[in-house]
Amino acid sequence: MSASPSHFQQKMQNPLKSLGIRKKIGDFLNNTKFLNRSLSWYVTGWRVGVFWGLIALFLPQLLNFSTNFLDQTYFAPNILLLDAILCGIYVMLALGLNIVVGYAGLLDLGYVAFFVIGSYTVAFATSGIIRNIHSQVVNIPALTFWEAIPLAALIAGFMGVLLGAPTLRLRGDYLAIVTLGFGEIVPIVIKDVPFFYGALGFQVPPAPVVNTPFGQVDFGNPLDFSAFYYLTLAVIILIVMFNILLRNSSIGRAWIAIREDELAASASGVNLVRIKLMAFGLGAAIGGIGGVFNGVMTSSISYDQFSFQVSISVLIMIVLGGIGSIPGVIVGAILLRFIDVYVISTISNMLQTNTALANPSNPFHFLVSFNLNTTKFLIFGLVLLLMIILRPQGIIPNKRRQLELKGVGLAPEELSVIGEIEREEEGSSAPPESVEGLGDI
Amino acid sequence: MFVLASTTSGIFIQTMVNGITLGAVYALVALGYTIVYGIVELINFAHGDVFMWSTAITLVVLNSMHVSTAVYGFALIGLLLLMIVIGAVVSGTLNVAIERLAYRPLRKAPRLAPLIAAIGVSFILENIAELWLGASGISYPDFFPNGGIVLGDVTIQYIDLVVVVLTVVLMYGLNVLVKSTKMGKAMRATAQDPEAAALMGVDINQTISFAFLVGGVLAGVAGVFYSLVIPVYAYNVGFELGLIAFTAAVLGGIGNITGAMAGGFLIGIIKALATNYLPNGSDLSDAVVFAILVLVLALRPSGLLGQQVPDKV
Amino acid sequence: MVGKLKALKSMLELQNINTFYGPSHVLQDMTIKVNQGEIVCLLGANAAGKTTTMKTIFGLVKPKEGKVIFKGERLDTLKTDQIIKKGIILSPEGRRVFSRMTVRENLEMGAFMFSSTTQIAEDIDKVYALFPRLKERDKQISGTMSGGEQQMLAIGRALMARPQLLCLDEPSLGLSPILVQTVFDTIRKIRQDGVTIFLVEQNAFMALNNADRGYVLQSGKIILEDTAQNLLKNDTVRAAYLGG
Repeated sequence: MSASPSHFQQKMQNPLKSLGIRKKIGDFLNNTKFLNRSLSWYVTGWRVGVFWGLIALFLPQLLNFSTNFLDQTYFAPNILLLDAILCGIYVMLALGLNIVVGYAGLLDLGYVAFFVIGSYTVAFATSGIIRNIHSQVVNIPALTFWEAIPLAALIAGFMGVLLGAPTLRLRGDYLAIVTLGFGEIVPIVIKDVPFFYGALGFQVPPAPVVNTPFGQVDFGNPLDFSAFYYLTLAVIILIVMFNILLRNSSIGRAWIAIREDELAASASGVNLVRIKLMAFGLGAAIGGIGGVFNGVMTSSISYDQFSFQVSISVLIMIVLGGIGSIPGVIVGAILLRFIDVYVISTISNMLQTNTALANPSNPFHFLVSFNLNTTKFLIFGLVLLLMIILRPQGIIPNKRRQLELKGVGLAPEELSVIGEIEREEEGSSAPPESVEGLGDI
Repeated sequence: MFVLASTTSGIFIQTMVNGITLGAVYALVALGYTIVYGIVELINFAHGDVFMWSTAITLVVLNSMHVSTAVYGFALIGLLLLMIVIGAVVSGTLNVAIERLAYRPLRKAPRLAPLIAAIGVSFILENIAELWLGASGISYPDFFPNGGIVLGDVTIQYIDLVVVVLTVVLMYGLNVLVKSTKMGKAMRATAQDPEAAALMGVDINQTISFAFLVGGVLAGVAGVFYSLVIPVYAYNVGFELGLIAFTAAVLGGIGNITGAMAGGFLIGIIKALATNYLPNGSDLSDAVVFAILVLVLALRPSGLLGQQVPDKV
Repeated sequence: MVGKLKALKSMLELQNINTFYGPSHVLQDMTIKVNQGEIVCLLGANAAGKTTTMKTIFGLVKPKEGKVIFKGERLDTLKTDQIIKKGIILSPEGRRVFSRMTVRENLEMGAFMFSSTTQIAEDIDKVYALFPRLKERDKQISGTMSGGEQQMLAIGRALMARPQLLCLDEPSLGLSPILVQTVFDTIRKIRQDGVTIFLVEQNAFMALNNADRGYVLQSGKIILEDTAQNLLKNDTVRAAYLGG
């Protein structure tokens, strides 16, 4: 009798115990070969790269071939290809946001805004229809789908610069909350400002038919998405190449410099605001391109498709895969999409159709009504939180970022010196510490 | 929260009254942002959801007590105090737990990590609430009687008066707490220089927990006030309200307690005016608040009251 | 005679301390002893590990190996706020006064662990007697004071904790020669009141002239340990710290 409450008290009074467990889980995730060697070996080694590359390249054919032995009601190749394309759009977004979060170390919580801008740009540009301030239809010269892609990138990038310019001078926290607000405001503006067709939604013309020396290619054929799939794949490859070029360029090195030591970077001649703005703008532009593909693919867009959940999902993809790591964010995007589209609905279906559970006397009967889709974002939020606490470097870490996130990029003595100088410097540029704070009421 | 007046000036004054009442709620929530930022330099993205959980729990308690109509006299005072205590306990405990579980392990990590953790926590809190009470709005048992002081065609509801008066009392209490008590001194010292504060014998972890407790308690009280003024519960109310209250904190100069109070009332008035006088005002007033946030950050990042004092000489 | 007897009693001991910052080995097998009633100084160039030594003593950095012992009790297992309750206090490098608080509030913070208001008021008067300059500035916001005044405040704030051992990290940094003299005069006065002093300094000449014993720290290692008089005559010390 007396032993158990004291044991309980001991447990309550000794928070170190729970800390110990957390540390053990963290150590397990950090040290286990399964994650550090095997998994990254599985997904990044060159043989593996070739393997997955070939699968991506022949996905339409593989899916068609699968109809020989799989039930088409469950494995309709064209629907699966559509899923693959939507997944590819998320890969684009993750690669774009990775420039902002992973390379430049800035937190953008409203990335969906640029996705919206891209989607609406392609809608207006290719349909040639806008509305004026009195909600009357106005025809403008229509652009082709191909012209809309760079236009969307340009507009989204410009909006990114416009938003970033006033806020990038400040600390990262402010950028996070401003982007968060921006992501919320853009859909509201679209809904309430008549120009954008508001709550009605907007029909986006399908992707065009192109005559090539090998015959006609229909990118917009809803019965066969292969052509559009290859187009998506090609754009992803271009974005990956662009990311690699950026990373290895002098800009990429400047990003590493500002991430690791903002003060030293500016002392060595890096223009902080310009270099951050560049990351923000380029990331936004890629988000815009993703928006173009989304607009064409979903064909009917409206403001309510673009929620905060999209921004967070893309952020989770990056954190899950590995902040700053190109293979990491690609795998993170695919993994999260896969869980989202297949795993969660499959488990829900299994629960709802399980005959044993259907029996009301089964103690787990309540699971029948358990719709996993509603818990989806709860699970995603937990994934985000647990990853950032237990394995901040992600599934496939970027080597350099891994050191930084574990806090060994710089020695604490050096860091604290920098911190002190930063604190002094911020007196002139940023509000937080320099304002009369709790001390003066 | 209805504009009942008929004359132009009456509508204006009524709008101002409504703005001040909501401003009190914003100010209470803004104080939580400012106190926590002042001490750990973290935007607690989950703070709006901590506020929301006060509305959710008090809603459930009221429903379980079968309160559905207005109550009067001592019953009203008792019920109001009970709800305030419950809201304060719920949000205070929640905020302390969040700091302990999600932020403290990341205190020495790069800045990006605790920010991402905060977003994760916000997301989790919101989705648990959605899972529990559903996604659609639920009407909050409005136990506070209608009616108020009629001045011409302007009516100052009793609830408006109660909210504003109690908010002012709370703010006074907070002032005394921060200025004169030992814990308040520990908070101020920690905010200025945590390491030096530790060298004075201040328990930094305890002080940070206390700051989260104070912020949470204020948000919890704000949750009850808000629900009595706008008697609809929604699982995502904290997201928008958090953004507005944060803007209020920035407007007053983040880290500055007086600033957060002033900023809250100011934003409340601005938002009420925008809601009433702009087309599609109820939606676009959020855009107005956001525009204020960006403008303040761009033009005067130290906020309206955030006077610059040299930190090191 | 009494002083000599007391001097045998060990107050603070650092035993084989090894402290790391990530991969870098900042303090290497450091052993230091401070006896009751002494003024002991630790000399070293920039980044030799002087401040890290102080941070290790006060639990702001945890040593990987070794022990910190104060009056027979281990400090390295305690948190900072528990350590200072044992009667050991640090006036940190760079003064670190609470710049948005008044002088009096700063001194009150120094007595944070005590609750008796009469005791605190008495102690403030004692500090003001030691530093008359601070008394004039009682209500002034400390961030607006000069560096020398802030240094006095930092030392006074440390004394408010009624320490048996006062650690001072670079008390002369950034002060004019006259002020440096004043600070060291004060340090000697404080010792006369029975407070042991452990001092970290870059200004080797002033430190050795006022201390009983000294240690010389180079790249994280103690390379010399002797009486202050002998160190003043030592060739290595002369070459490295006293400008020939």
